[in-house]
Amino acid sequence: MIQKEVTLMNRLGLHIRPAAQLTKIAAKYKSDVYLLKDGMRVNGKSIMGVMMLAAARGSTLTLECIGDDEQQLLDELVILFENKFYEE
Amino acid sequence: MGSTDRKEQIMRGIPASPGIAIGLVHRMVFDEPDVMPRKLAPSEVPQELGRFDKALDQTRAAIERSRERALDVAGVAVGKIFDAHLLILADEVFHDQVRARITREQFDAEYIIYDSFGQMIEVISKSAGEIFRERAMDLRDVRTRLLRFLRGEGDFIPDHPTHEVILVAEDLSPTQALNLDRELVHGIATDIGGLTSHTAILARSLDIPTIVGMGDISGKVQDGDSIILNGNSGKVILNPTEASFVEYKEKRERFRSFQRYLEDIKNQPAMTLDGREIQLWGNIELPREAESVLSHGGTGVGLFRSEFLFLTRETTPTEDEQFGMYDRAAEIMAPNPVVIRTFDLGGDKYHAGINIHNEKNPFLGYRAIRVSLSRRDLFRSQLRAILRASARGNVRVMFPFVSGFEELREAKAVLEEAKHELNQRKIAFDPNLPVGIMVEIPSAAIMADRLAEECAFFSIGTNDLIQYTTATDRANEQVASYYRSYHPAVLRMIDMTIKAGDKKGVHVGICGELGGSPAATPLLVGMGMTEISMTSAMIPEIKKIIRSLTYEECVRMARKALRMDTSQEIMTYMQRELKKRFADLPIWFS
Repeated sequence: MIQKEVTLMNRLGLHIRPAAQLTKIAAKYKSDVYLLKDGMRVNGKSIMGVMMLAAARGSTLTLECIGDDEQQLLDELVILFENKFYEE
Repeated sequence: MGSTDRKEQIMRGIPASPGIAIGLVHRMVFDEPDVMPRKLAPSEVPQELGRFDKALDQTRAAIERSRERALDVAGVAVGKIFDAHLLILADEVFHDQVRARITREQFDAEYIIYDSFGQMIEVISKSAGEIFRERAMDLRDVRTRLLRFLRGEGDFIPDHPTHEVILVAEDLSPTQALNLDRELVHGIATDIGGLTSHTAILARSLDIPTIVGMGDISGKVQDGDSIILNGNSGKVILNPTEASFVEYKEKRERFRSFQRYLEDIKNQPAMTLDGREIQLWGNIELPREAESVLSHGGTGVGLFRSEFLFLTRETTPTEDEQFGMYDRAAEIMAPNPVVIRTFDLGGDKYHAGINIHNEKNPFLGYRAIRVSLSRRDLFRSQLRAILRASARGNVRVMFPFVSGFEELREAKAVLEEAKHELNQRKIAFDPNLPVGIMVEIPSAAIMADRLAEECAFFSIGTNDLIQYTTATDRANEQVASYYRSYHPAVLRMIDMTIKAGDKKGVHVGICGELGGSPAATPLLVGMGMTEISMTSAMIPEIKKIIRSLTYEECVRMARKALRMDTSQEIMTYMQRELKKRFADLPIWFS
């Protein structure tokens, strides 16, 4: 199991479309991924789960990946966060 | 409950869609089915799981129909709301959770769905950010449709008034809002929502005066109460006095006559008082939006953002699919031109089919023509599709993000390859397809006099030109104040590009947001711009401005602005000049 803390920098936060981008990446991997924020822990492969975090711009969350390809999954997700979800 | 025995009361909210409405209140609630848990016998579980799967399919089909309808009647922004609903419905982790709960708890699917959605709705409704609280209504909307299909009740058709009313609600669900009859609904006021909430987006596209974020208006009114709603200012008057009625009837008349005027000039040319004609064109993302360009009086499409074909899907569109899109837009606009910009991906627009690596500065990185030139397969297939459309319609091709001759020549070489391929396949195209570039990087503006020798036209992309000229990331709020649309250097860049184009007989237009800004119109015309492309909705107002000015006074204003030191000075000057001449622009109805 590996973890990394990330900061949400896109303008509108983790709303539906960014959540869809995140879960789309997560679905490609065998490993499980969870997002942790303010005592909540949600499944990173579920759009509805990710939306429930209601993570706004500037909030910090922890990505937790568990499985054989956990490192690749974590790396790809970190890129997504660093590029602000390529938001329009 | 009559209005005469109650005192006039004034409330305020966020003006979300312009216009003035006077009428009687009709309260609208979002009716959600009551669901009581029903225990299943273990033998019923498989059948229950099957019912769930079937309802999912039916709901998906229903949302897809709403999405199509939204695109038809209300445009892309509203279509995206239903795209989001499809994403919510497609959550397979959620499906598995529902299936597991049905199997484990042995309750009926209605109850498990009602309850599972309910937990999420509760969490989201309590979240701090408004944009998330607004999503609760999306979840409720999807849940209601799903429950109705489970019960075999068919799709959710909201109850609507049968007489002329002003709707008052806590909020409207997207499905409710999509089914509004604009002939009967003269205005909308809601408790919650902001400028970008779905109610606001829909109301604007349906042209219904609307105020959102009123706090608790739904709790303060009853059906049949008199109400005045000013969608220009955000003011609502409950139980208005006779004097208020008179005042607002007059305001409504003035606003309507302004709108009639815009309608009257729809088919008139955008010509200055001294006879200089400016082409007003529209920007589109989907072929069907070309119809909206025409209905607003536009005479061409100045920017077809072709990357939209990429962004809404997983796979890369084929040459045939692209040809279909370009051809349709050209057919709608014929004989007027359609300028197709080749994919502008990267920067802030991202597609799964293209690998974009982690970049420190994506806006200075791998985007637009740079992506196209390194993905020749995609680029050639797009160019072939554009060429094929040119055989039948008035089509032009435009390369984005050109910084100098290198990319222009390389892109043109790829275009020649595409022509060669079509020749071999014996497919027709226009061999003289006009080729132009976006002028959006300062280096291209500086080189415009030379680039004009190898281009048929320039289109100035102001959003990026401002960003790169002032070195300001437009998505970064911390430096947002440095992103100055009226920066004198930006005006000089535009002026320089127009003069360079004029000298070589190259057509110069603009397709950035500045094109749809009334305060910029006299400056653009005065600097010599002959084509302005903008979001269709702005075409009538910009036309009014052009038809009320002389070219000579525009030139005077532009010269004066070009001598000013700061963006603030230029903006203040233009606002003052516009106020002097246009006392009846919508802002003056508040």
